[in-house]
Amino acid sequence: MISISKSEKSYIQESLRSTLAFREDGRGLSDFRSVFLETGIAPLANGSARVNLGKAGQEGGGGTEAIAAVKLEVEDVQSGDGVDGGRVACNVSCSPAAYSHISSNALDNLQHDYTTLLHQVLSHPTLHPKNLGILPHKKAWLLSLDVTILSDAGNAFDVIFMAARAALWDTKVPRTRSIQYAGRKSVQTPEEAMDVDGNSAGPSNFNTRDLPTATDFELADTWDEGEPLEGRERWPVCITLNIDSPVHYLDATLLEEAATPLRLLLLFSFPSSSSSILQSMKLLGPGELKLSEVTGHITDGEKYARTLFNALESKLRDEDLRRNQKARTKFAGR
Amino acid sequence: MSHWQTNFDRRRINGPEESFPPVYDEEEDQDVFEQQWKEGQPRLGRGPREIRPIYFRPGFISQANGSAYIETEKTKIACAVYGPRQSKSTTYNEKGKLNVEVKFTPFSCKRRRAPMRDAEDRPIATQIHQALLSSVRLELLPKSSIDIFVTIIENDGIEGCIAAGSIAASAALADAGIEMFGLVVSCSAAMVGKEIWLDPTEDEAKAATATFVCAGMPALGTITSLWQNGRLTPQESVQCLEACQERSTDIHLVVAHGLLESVDSSDG
Repeated sequence: MISISKSEKSYIQESLRSTLAFREDGRGLSDFRSVFLETGIAPLANGSARVNLGKAGQEGGGGTEAIAAVKLEVEDVQSGDGVDGGRVACNVSCSPAAYSHISSNALDNLQHDYTTLLHQVLSHPTLHPKNLGILPHKKAWLLSLDVTILSDAGNAFDVIFMAARAALWDTKVPRTRSIQYAGRKSVQTPEEAMDVDGNSAGPSNFNTRDLPTATDFELADTWDEGEPLEGRERWPVCITLNIDSPVHYLDATLLEEAATPLRLLLLFSFPSSSSSILQSMKLLGPGELKLSEVTGHITDGEKYARTLFNALESKLRDEDLRRNQKARTKFAGR
Repeated sequence: MSHWQTNFDRRRINGPEESFPPVYDEEEDQDVFEQQWKEGQPRLGRGPREIRPIYFRPGFISQANGSAYIETEKTKIACAVYGPRQSKSTTYNEKGKLNVEVKFTPFSCKRRRAPMRDAEDRPIATQIHQALLSSVRLELLPKSSIDIFVTIIENDGIEGCIAAGSIAASAALADAGIEMFGLVVSCSAAMVGKEIWLDPTEDEAKAATATFVCAGMPALGTITSLWQNGRLTPQESVQCLEACQERSTDIHLVVAHGLLESVDSSDG
């Protein structure tokens, strides 16, 4: 967090609290800066996304920018770290270029705090994708989600979770097929064992059907990269309420963050238009709330989160279309 | 374990590179929960809104300015407070700094924890820091720092550690005579099926769809820390918060009583 002078701080606080709330960039209290999102930006990852919040126009600079990428690795359940059914591991790294004002030690702590939150929320069993297993009790996918913050112009939490959701949405799990090597049942006579050529003419010992005793797997050769992660609609969005009682506002810039004591992170997902799930909630900063205030903030947060969730969802579906259907027609038309 | 090598400390008696917990027969108590409890059944041993009995004693580390020990069945935590003392950093700070350090003893968990800083300590420390931060009158202590050391002697779930750790740390601050707005108490909850279970053990938290920890000052009716993780509807989340708040009053009574008793005995 950057340090600002007392007069700067009180100027920002006073203008936020005044009856006609005023922010330095002219936004209303519940307005977001513009969000730019693109999926599939890392060709070597299984899913990736880049999010920029608050860039000045398509070609302009500035804003909070984060890249998220998902890599899938095969893990051994019996001898390795693997867990039956797969596991999710998240990591956030902050580019020192974005945080030149804090020491490397403080940057480590910041990264660690972001990582902890992202990992705790996204690796929760209630969000676990069901298609991360490969062979029961033998092999499973490790899904590593890495988020890199390239620049920070405030509201990093919302950007991290937006990028994470987009990258997970974009993730394709390679299709696998179980295989098993079955030894020949018949007892071989010495002559047969000598007859090397005869063996190769017989039926293959590899069996590639779905077998309960399968010992290994192979990647199916299909036209696409695989199937999407199961339950990709469930990944939550984060909405940060910056609270300077009695007002709260969204999408703080760095200066506003430094002038606001309390932040309430609310992570929502919306399985349908009528229901909502509060996946996580966290209070940050020196300050306190009354029970009734918390209830009010959750209700307000739900409203904001739904708007953000719907906007993100329509953009992600748009990206799916752009990268699959439209890309195919474009390719065919050449 | 590759990270173990990098943290190699020659001054310690280092055990074998890899170690595994002993395997017990099935009737050992650590498996009782898994064996006896099935989804949909009522809670084992206590009511859903009952918390484990608390043993609390302030002032048992004589060299520290303030200290406290708290025990709720299998969660045992010792906490010491040093300060307010001159801040080690050279930069001027208008407000005092509150440092919280959490350590697990190597024998605190089912699997041995190597005696080095590891990944789980800091999240607990930041949670305790968040719970205490707005209760301490740091504006009265410029250029100084208060160091809080929390030692987890026995661990029965992260939620319980955060809650009991916050209580112990706040009581130790009071024992050290540091000015505060109020005592901080903390309570955890877990959503198991459709029921809210207060003060869950490690096994119960594992079986839950969501866990919830909140801290606040019951004397002022304020909330200083909230941490929820897992699948809840917003209404259920508020219910968890209300249940925790309700129980906090009782915990506050236990802690305040313990502190008063220690003052009386030291006077007399």
